Amino acid sequence: MMIRLFAVTLACWAVVLAEPPGAWAATVISGTVKNKAGQSLSGLALLEKGEIHNNVWDRGTLVDANGRFRIEVPDGGQYGLHVYSSGYIYSPKAVRVESGKALEVSVVLVPEPTRANDPMIKRVGFFPWEERRGKVTFVKLDVADPNDDLGPQVLAFNAAAGRAYALQPPRRVRDLKANFPQGVYQLELDTSGGSVNPREWHFVVADHQCNTTDVLSFPHEPRPPRVIRP
Amino acid sequence: MSAPRVALGVVLALAASVLARVAVVSGGDHTSLAAAGERWWATSPDPANPVACATCHHDPAETRGWAASFPKFKPLPPPHARVMTLLQANAEAVRRHYRLVDPRPVATAITAYLTTHGAGVPLSPGVTVGQPVFPPRLRALGESVARGRRLYASECAACHEAPAIAAAIADFPRMRGQRMESLEDFLDQHAPRRPLAWDSPAMADVVSYLVATRADRAAKETP
Repeated sequence: MMIRLFAVTLACWAVVLAEPPGAWAATVISGTVKNKAGQSLSGLALLEKGEIHNNVWDRGTLVDANGRFRIEVPDGGQYGLHVYSSGYIYSPKAVRVESGKALEVSVVLVPEPTRANDPMIKRVGFFPWEERRGKVTFVKLDVADPNDDLGPQVLAFNAAAGRAYALQPPRRVRDLKANFPQGVYQLELDTSGGSVNPREWHFVVADHQCNTTDVLSFPHEPRPPRVIRP
Repeated sequence: MSAPRVALGVVLALAASVLARVAVVSGGDHTSLAAAGERWWATSPDPANPVACATCHHDPAETRGWAASFPKFKPLPPPHARVMTLLQANAEAVRRHYRLVDPRPVATAITAYLTTHGAGVPLSPGVTVGQPVFPPRLRALGESVARGRRLYASECAACHEAPAIAAAIADFPRMRGQRMESLEDFLDQHAPRRPLAWDSPAMADVVSYLVATRADRAAKETP
């Protein structure tokens, strides 16, 4: 009996030791966000899974007042890291992190010289679907763009779940390089497990020329954007 | 004033701005071509949208290795992602950000600027120094080189040995008389049997092959 117990224990240890180093460690993309003067910036850091600009949005996090962010990802590999801060041109960066490792990224943002070309979020709404009340909620975003060159980056971020989403345009656009329509974008949420808490939701929109809205957080009341002097 | 008239006015103003700057280059040599490219790099032609290349890519150390890293896979939104030459990538960026209908002159000048700025940096097609290496992108470049090798063998090799042409491509972009000329322009005009459009994937394949040949030779000559 003792011999059998010893053998089982030994086998367990063999399995444990056979795991590659770092297999239990988290895979993390973290970093700092600053402007050129070295000032820390808060905002949003969102990830596309796989090749950058593929519009497959995955996870994200809020960038805190110290300009720090940390996103834990389930797998190593390639990601598109997009960092947004109100009044700054957003920064896209292709990154690669190995499983079980931490990747530290420094992001430097540049202020937008004018806000006249920025897309605008005119309204945000959360609408339970009448026919399936309590089961489905639509998040709707009314978006305009003075240059009429919106791209697929009409984005929502749920801070509680750490999930990022691209909202569906008012009509289907097959080519991600095409100009996306202005109008009401929406996201269908399965709310059978609980209702939507608007406080958890943040929104940002960027056009093809990198003109970017402010990050819109609760109470989701858009304000006129201001130019940040460098 | 109606919206179409305003739009027409903006287009004409931008066109005049482009022509004025290109005219400055037409009297010069490679140095003035690169200088014109640097001006385009630093200044948008659209005063209403002053974001220029240098607004975001403001660190000269960051951009110094760019020219040496081309051709490479550019991650444009699918299905447009593909291997591109430096000129093609610049044309893509200039078309989108400067909203130029014909991006080629400006892209050629910017290519000259980035090539001059990166002079002396060892060739590293597909890899930018200080940036992560992405294996799928390198695979795409390898496939482009293989396609380019086949295309070169069928269309070019009868008259031109690849090593000699590979060495000569370092002279582009250049001024030819009063006209600026990129490598892609030259090949576009030169292919007698089969047209090779300057912005086509096939052009990127041929240039990928030639640059790979040049990089191999440089690596062998390095002590």
